Amino acid sequence: MIYREAGVYKSTYRADQAILTIPQDRWFMIGIFAVAFLLIPAFGSEYWLGAIMLPFLILSLAALGLNILTGYAGQLSLGTGGFMATGAFSAYKLATSFPDMHILLVILGAGLITAAVGIVFGIPSLRIKGFYLAVATLASQFFLIWMFDKFGWFTNYSASGVISAPPMTIIGDIFVTGPQASLVTKYMFTLSVVVVLALVAKNLVRSNIGREWMAVRDMDIAAEIIGIPMLSTKLKAFAVSSFFCGIAGALWAFLYTGSVEPLAFDVNRSFQVLFMVIIGGLGSIMGAFLGSAFIILLPILLNNAPNLLGLSIRTDMVSHLEFMIFGALIIFFLIVEPHGLARLWQVAKEKLRLWPFPH
Amino acid sequence: MKEWKIGDVILALDNISLSFGAMKVLNNISFDVKKGEIRSIIGPNGAGKSSMLNVINGFYHPQEGSITFRGEKRKEMDVHKAAASGIARTFQNIALFKGMSTLDNIMTGRNLKIKSNIFQQAVYWGKAQKEEIEHRYKVEEIIDFLEIQDIRKTPVGRLPYGFQKRVELGRALAAEPDILLLDEPMAGMNVEEKEDMSRFILDINDEFGTTIVLIEHDMGVVMDLSDRVVVLDYGLQLADGPPDEVRNNQKVIDAYLGVSH
Amino acid sequence: MRIERDIIYIILAFIALMVVVPWTAGQLSDQIFFNWPFFFEVAIGGLLSGVMYSLVALGFVLIFKASGVFNFSQGAIVLFAALTLVGLHELGLPMWLAMIATMGVMYLVAVAIEKLVLGKLVNQEHIILFMATIGIAYFLDGFGQILWGSDVKLLDLGISQAPGFYFDGLILINDFDLFAAAVAGVLVISLAIFFQYTRIGRALRAVADDHQAALSVGIPLNHIWIIVWTVAGLVGLVAGIMWGSKMGVQFSLALIALKALPVLILGGFTSVPGAIIGGLIIGAGEKLAEVFIAPMIGGGIEEWFAYMLALAFLVFRPQGLFGEKIIERV
Repeated sequence: MIYREAGVYKSTYRADQAILTIPQDRWFMIGIFAVAFLLIPAFGSEYWLGAIMLPFLILSLAALGLNILTGYAGQLSLGTGGFMATGAFSAYKLATSFPDMHILLVILGAGLITAAVGIVFGIPSLRIKGFYLAVATLASQFFLIWMFDKFGWFTNYSASGVISAPPMTIIGDIFVTGPQASLVTKYMFTLSVVVVLALVAKNLVRSNIGREWMAVRDMDIAAEIIGIPMLSTKLKAFAVSSFFCGIAGALWAFLYTGSVEPLAFDVNRSFQVLFMVIIGGLGSIMGAFLGSAFIILLPILLNNAPNLLGLSIRTDMVSHLEFMIFGALIIFFLIVEPHGLARLWQVAKEKLRLWPFPH
Repeated sequence: MKEWKIGDVILALDNISLSFGAMKVLNNISFDVKKGEIRSIIGPNGAGKSSMLNVINGFYHPQEGSITFRGEKRKEMDVHKAAASGIARTFQNIALFKGMSTLDNIMTGRNLKIKSNIFQQAVYWGKAQKEEIEHRYKVEEIIDFLEIQDIRKTPVGRLPYGFQKRVELGRALAAEPDILLLDEPMAGMNVEEKEDMSRFILDINDEFGTTIVLIEHDMGVVMDLSDRVVVLDYGLQLADGPPDEVRNNQKVIDAYLGVSH
Repeated sequence: MRIERDIIYIILAFIALMVVVPWTAGQLSDQIFFNWPFFFEVAIGGLLSGVMYSLVALGFVLIFKASGVFNFSQGAIVLFAALTLVGLHELGLPMWLAMIATMGVMYLVAVAIEKLVLGKLVNQEHIILFMATIGIAYFLDGFGQILWGSDVKLLDLGISQAPGFYFDGLILINDFDLFAAAVAGVLVISLAIFFQYTRIGRALRAVADDHQAALSVGIPLNHIWIIVWTVAGLVGLVAGIMWGSKMGVQFSLALIALKALPVLILGGFTSVPGAIIGGLIIGAGEKLAEVFIAPMIGGGIEEWFAYMLALAFLVFRPQGLFGEKIIERV
């Protein structure tokens, strides 16, 4: 009744190819934007903005990157953390070597540098596929983290080894990083960057390159035979994915934690982002956000659930329980809906189209 | 049948031999293909027909022999160059992209004609969108032609076999090829579906002037559609000529009836 | 099992590199100390630690060979088995009884995995199964530590861990490592016999090739899987005992699994001898690189050297030393 396609006639191909084709979808998006851009910064608590929204947005960005590489182009990667680290350290070196560079340029530069690194580590994908490629990406993960840890040049030879992101402004006196930046500013900045990049991602996957990626994923031999160039298509996937992950890493270090350390981007981070992509749905832009929300909110839920239920459990027990529930959920999702939350969302929308009729 | 439309030789295969290790799959095969004709390759199972197609579009590289295409003589074809210079094909075991819709699958056939680069596509509004719409028009023409309008948004993995074969044909057509290689396009189809497919093949040849090289088992179809036929058996060439000639060739009859040789 | 000439050349090339590079490094750099007895000491130590990697890799190979599933949770299985063994022992059971009980537990684990996970994911793509095993890994990890606690536990086999002098007192070798090598040898031989010559072994190979085809010739898929995962669990138990004695039974045992991956790549995912030889090459290569090359770069390269080695190898020979060549048809 409410959510219907009836009466919505698309008379041009342009209309048919639009991102949001049904008026109700458009209203929904406008609603989300209103909440994100107006309600949350106005009424959100420090805790919400700083501890939930920021990591949610930044990790969604990383999940977008990984989804492009693994979900759309079919190249399984366990090296997300390493690329995020590359972005964070590149941003640090850029910001400290060129103190007058505007933060947007710093972030963009970090993304581009990470894209280049991604291309280099993507070269093996031309010969290696599937699990083998996953293991190869682990090589890049371990190597990059070791490199950032070992060589003092990356931390500007800091004595303590812990480096903080320099304070930077966007316009005039408004600080975006460093102790003077307000959470609201950080949130709005991150939100804007993520929205723009999500749009870019959506554009890419509905264009020719998106189809080329999916063709390589589904049957690369046939793709090659119809003229799709393996080399450049795979490397573009690595480049774009690393670009996204690099920016996510830079945002994480500069805006969220305030410090640049390799440990934040270790192999556990890679697995965390992979889980977001699996649970959210491989090959779906929306899935990246859904998965990120899920993974961020779950530990909070688990941490608070015992209190809500009146039980008290030791903190280390909680983390073990988290692991168990986590593992069980992954298996559950893979059995029930291997295409993740995004597919569940689609199914829900289909049901909504028919509501209140059963079929 | 329509000799006035058939032109000069555009593809010639000379003394092609192909082996995998000790197994010789093609043994000194020579034939040519004239522009605008429908050329069939027939023979019992395992004769090497699919391998012959794979040689033509560069997926297999023959150990001996040469391929002359558009006047250029070469030892082997390159897959990418073949696609870029107007050779398209369908496959015996459907090679569609199961995760994409019919429309998207056929659009992938246009990939060599899409010129916008990744940055333009990232922005989308502007050149990339214009191109998408342009090519969408072309693809919709093919969808109309193949009568698959109502399944254009369906993920291809969910389609019945006959429709998948049609979509694969659509993808090959999308490249606007000069030579279309069809590997058993009617396999597994009932009479009605075969009639539809035959009609499409004839229309493609008639309307677009596309040269067609066809592998097919159904003798009725082969005799009705083809201008010329080449017969293979165990990698050897048995006969080459118009359907009537081939039909009465004793060696061909022996091969199909299983007379040992 | 035929060994192609290529493989022999590659292995010889590896051996040559492992001798030549350290020697050259020793000549060129002051920071690196090289003499032959020391070299052999490091090399043998590396080979023996490689054997330990192989023990873990064997579990992977078994499951992959028999079901085509890349079992990411092998490390967690090793940990869980070791934890259960030590836990039962601490509860008062004598060691031999605890071992038998643990084997029973691993059987139950295999049944659970088959019923709750594998059985529900029949004929899904391999990547989905792979991700399911990641889920199993997390689950077993948490579950094991809830059951038995997360402090480091001691596992004493009664074999000396102190190095003893061999070869006229020139070279230090760990008695324990030698024992581990012997255990691995016995395990490999039994497994090889099992796969090649028993009816079950053949069935396992059929299942690895094609689930549905195996089903259609009457091979009971779920029984096969339970068998395989139980055997993998037992292999994991052996690995867990070995590693646990060496460094105590603790959480980082699961991380050893990550180290087994380069071994698998080098040896090939489907080869039992490959797991051993791959382990030897990675183990020796890693140790030699750490001692003879790393000082020049700053040390600590053990974290990634194995992976880089495997990666370089993959580029030239994607199926690993003994793996099956991947042929793709259209």
